[in-house]
Amino acid sequence: MRSFGELEAAIMDRVWLVGRPVLVREVWAGLRPEREPAYNTVLTVVEILYRKGWLAREKDGRAYRYRATVAREDYTAGLMGEALEASPDRVAALRSFVGRIGPAEARQLRKMLDQAVREGS
Amino acid sequence: MIVALALLGYAALLLTASPAALARARWPESAPRLAIAAWFSLTVSAVASVLAGGLALMVPTVRVSADLSGLLAACVMALRAQYAHPGGAALTGAGAVLALAVLARITWCTARALAQAARARRNHRLRLSLVGRPDPRLGAVVVRHHDPAAYCLPGHGARIVVTTGAIGALDAGQLRAVLAHERAHLHGHHHLLVTLAGALSAAFPRVPAFRIAAEQVARLAELRADDAASAAAHRLAVAGALLSLGAGVPAAALGAAGTADAARVRRLIDGPAAISRTRAVSVAFTAAGAALVPLLILAGPAASARGMNYCPHGPAVAAQSAAAAPAAALHRR
Repeated sequence: MRSFGELEAAIMDRVWLVGRPVLVREVWAGLRPEREPAYNTVLTVVEILYRKGWLAREKDGRAYRYRATVAREDYTAGLMGEALEASPDRVAALRSFVGRIGPAEARQLRKMLDQAVREGS
Repeated sequence: MIVALALLGYAALLLTASPAALARARWPESAPRLAIAAWFSLTVSAVASVLAGGLALMVPTVRVSADLSGLLAACVMALRAQYAHPGGAALTGAGAVLALAVLARITWCTARALAQAARARRNHRLRLSLVGRPDPRLGAVVVRHHDPAAYCLPGHGARIVVTTGAIGALDAGQLRAVLAHERAHLHGHHHLLVTLAGALSAAFPRVPAFRIAAEQVARLAELRADDAASAAAHRLAVAGALLSLGAGVPAAALGAAGTADAARVRRLIDGPAAISRTRAVSVAFTAAGAALVPLLILAGPAASARGMNYCPHGPAVAAQSAAAAPAAALHRR
């Protein structure tokens, strides 16, 4: 049983992949070989994504064509920026591996590390 | 009254004298987990002392007697005496307000911080599902993104997140180190420790000790995770990963550059100085002792008062002699 979030993700993936306004039928066909969701399920989830503001749509004959409102790269950049931004709330919510190390300090540390590696081997 | 003053004085002593000393000490570098325990012992003991001090103000003259009826009688007498003059009533009120206010403030701030963090994580997890692909081989979610980054999303549905940029910037050992570091955060429930220490600091922003404790717990949690990563990979691999991810971002993103993170790299390059057994034991005893002191302050007068009869004319004595009389009479027969 596929979780709902996963189907949303798969649909956004399709829309981003195609890169031009798509019909729900095309999205559904694109999901077909791996997943077997019913057409109506795909239609429902696409409409949910539209209502959430992740998809925009325009009339094409009797159907709608959908496109992503943000590029995948921008969406990802926003998400990662949010994850790594060092506001006090975030610090408690998620733990980033490392903060920012200034370039001058990084150069000095890199030199120390290289020396330690040479001595070790 | 003396007990209450002793408890409040002890709390003040804990909060003023020890944080600076503990923050300056060198040994936490080699025993971060023990140091986290020490910080919690310090802050929790201080809070417990204030709470106990407030309670002691409410019932300042209670003596513990050998039996329950004697104790109750002493309580009644003490309370009656206390309320007989207005100062005593004010003191009782102040004690109750102090204890309740401190308790309520801590409970409220902790609940709010936990709820906020859980909400932020849930929100992030939902949005992550759109671009993250789980990689069972790494045990992490991989995000296609050029900036190198790695973090963990703790709590319900916990996961580790790495960007393709990070995977590209690290060699195999460094990647293993990063994943082990994040796994250590998740296994150690570091997010809870950091949130609790932070909530205490948010509850009493004017107490510098709590702010220092929150900063130190967050820093020590990173050192602890670095040690776990050193065990899984090599400490120099952890240092290399820190440098690759910490300095691999364009200068535009450079905010307040983390001197703490540079210190982590230096610590890993130098290699850990092992903590001596004596030091570890003495720290553990000090931490446990700090937590026991409020109990001892409370118990001291109680123990010395035990067995003494402070209420010769109280109802308890009358009841006791009344109970003893028939037995004595029986004996005589």
